[in-house]
Amino acid sequence: MDISFALTGKGYVLVAADTTAARSIIKMKSDEDKIKVLSPHLLMAFSGEPGDTVNFAEYVERNLRLYHIRHTYPLRPASAASWIRRSLAESLRSRSPYSVNLLLGGYDTATHTPELYWVDYLGTMTSVPFGAHGYGSYFALSLLDRYHDPEAGLEEGLAALRRCIDEVSKRLVVSPGKYKVKVVDKDGVREIEL
Amino acid sequence: MSIMQYNGGSVIAMVGKDCVAIASDLRLGNQSLGISSNFEKIFAMTERTYVGLPGLATDVTTLHEQLRYRLNMYTIKEERTMEPETFIHLVSSTLYEKRWGPYFIEPVLAGMQKTPSGAFRPFVASTDLIGCINFAKDFVVAGTASEKLFGVAEGLWEPDLEPEDLFETISQTLLNAVDRDAYSGWGAVVHVITKDKVVKRTLKGRMD
Amino acid sequence: MNSFADRFSTTGTAVEQRRIKEYVADEEDVSDSMWGSEAGFGTIAHGTPNFMVPTVPDPSAFLRLHTDDHADPSCRIKIKHGTTTLAFRYQGGVIVAVDSRATAGSYVASGTVKKVIEINPYLLGTMAGGAADCQYWETYLGMQCRLHELRNRERISVAAASKYLSNLVYNYKGMGLSMGTMICGWDKTGPAIFYVDSDGTRLKGDLFSVGSGSTFAYGVLDQGYRWDLTDEEAQELGRRGIYAAGHRDAFSGNTINLYHVQQQGWKFIGNYDVSEMHYNGPTGTAGYGYGVRVEGRSSANPPA
Repeated sequence: MDISFALTGKGYVLVAADTTAARSIIKMKSDEDKIKVLSPHLLMAFSGEPGDTVNFAEYVERNLRLYHIRHTYPLRPASAASWIRRSLAESLRSRSPYSVNLLLGGYDTATHTPELYWVDYLGTMTSVPFGAHGYGSYFALSLLDRYHDPEAGLEEGLAALRRCIDEVSKRLVVSPGKYKVKVVDKDGVREIEL
Repeated sequence: MSIMQYNGGSVIAMVGKDCVAIASDLRLGNQSLGISSNFEKIFAMTERTYVGLPGLATDVTTLHEQLRYRLNMYTIKEERTMEPETFIHLVSSTLYEKRWGPYFIEPVLAGMQKTPSGAFRPFVASTDLIGCINFAKDFVVAGTASEKLFGVAEGLWEPDLEPEDLFETISQTLLNAVDRDAYSGWGAVVHVITKDKVVKRTLKGRMD
Repeated sequence: MNSFADRFSTTGTAVEQRRIKEYVADEEDVSDSMWGSEAGFGTIAHGTPNFMVPTVPDPSAFLRLHTDDHADPSCRIKIKHGTTTLAFRYQGGVIVAVDSRATAGSYVASGTVKKVIEINPYLLGTMAGGAADCQYWETYLGMQCRLHELRNRERISVAAASKYLSNLVYNYKGMGLSMGTMICGWDKTGPAIFYVDSDGTRLKGDLFSVGSGSTFAYGVLDQGYRWDLTDEEAQELGRRGIYAAGHRDAFSGNTINLYHVQQQGWKFIGNYDVSEMHYNGPTGTAGYGYGVRVEGRSSANPPA
């Protein structure tokens, strides 16, 4: 089961996802990147049904890229999130729905605000200060209720994220080993070593 | 587990004297897990028409977008605002369109209806998930706490409440009903609509 | 169903039924109603109490069919469940904290349940799973602990008490008992916690949380736990653990009951409203709630 976390801080969004690709009881790969860079200021962590995840992520990536090329500027996070949600909601009532859960972290360069959206495979979307998918959410959400600070600097944000990862490693029976962490802020997107 | 209870949430609307009120909780959950405490289910469709959409959260957003689109098209074509009574029929037919693959929403509507004389009268109505309209003279409820809301409202509501008293009645009804429902709560919001203004208040509710 | 083998077997439910029938036939002149329920505590002289079971081939499957509201929400009997309980050991003793919500389906049936069972002045039991199962067997355990004291002129150890309970519920394994409990106390060896459940699992440990909201409690507990916590810090951690679960878990909440076990026995610290903790906290100055804590703080970062 995939685990992903995301949290906002002062001027940034941190997105983390585990890197294991499993099939039945076997770990097929342990350095899989489950966080897509959708635009210069938008990140998307995806998890769910194997196959659906990457297919949907690439579908979104190409469409947002197309928008960027056509208009010369990218969609802002709120609009991109809205379009992605709609894609999932329409897919839900199709013959073969996508089973993909998302965490969308973006930085709105117009309002200088980091934004985070929690989206599930049904097309449920809500804006949150921090969010998680998978079994990790049952441990991390209460932890972040206690330790998250919207004005935290990057180091403090990473410390909170580390707490989440440590907690899941401690308590979850099948906990993944490694995580990939990406951050988006006014300067764009970059990967961070924990 | 019913799909109508997957995300949780409840809405109630009440008639007062020359006013109506509509209120909802703010919880968005994944079954027992609370995700968000600012998920609004009540939307202002016109200046005097408010609709509450409790049910499956993905459909809350989708149906809201759909209704907004259709209402805007009507406004542009007709060059006038839609009345609440017309709007509930729009809601009804939008839902019935999906008769064999419904939106899992039970809408609740509250608004001030313009009468031929130019005056306004309070109007509340609700529909089921495939669009059967229920017009009520007193109050309408929907959502995971609907049974509890019926019980409390039946006890507290009385005819011809002034806006301030209606606010108190609907707030107490909602707050006390959702406290007995595991899937509703996490804060609440109330709109009191009179012919020339709408007052929105966020309530401090139990957060467990 | 192999009825021939059933008739002559010496274990299993068929035998239980046979025994009950014989037992009832034996004492026809002294009816149950004369002495009150035979499953009551008046039966101590007979050893473990006897229970009537429905006369169907598989009583526990029969019971499950009519009570499991996850499989069938329309079934008549809804067993109350959904809970958060926690207990941890530290330098100053044991902290026990529980919520007080009972739900039947989505209905909050009660917000004032006592989920800590005061077995005796030195032993506490927590309640998760079937409320009746926990209440009954832990009260029964209390009686056995008292008998142990009278017989042996010393208090029963936490290890022995929990073992007694675990052996007892193990006898009913597969019959549909549902309990997840922590037996907490202070004995010759110092503070102790044992986790006992109806599977027959019995675990000794420093920190446990049980129930539907346990993951949320663990999230807060693990991050704040140290052996050398002060009494104030420990009580605060217990409260925060249950608050976290009450907040996030739909089936936990209402109020927190907090106990502290020390050498001289347990002490009830207080009853705290979860919503009051959210907005104002135990001292009335700092609420636990996320929204309350970060009020006015924003992650927006406009250039100065």
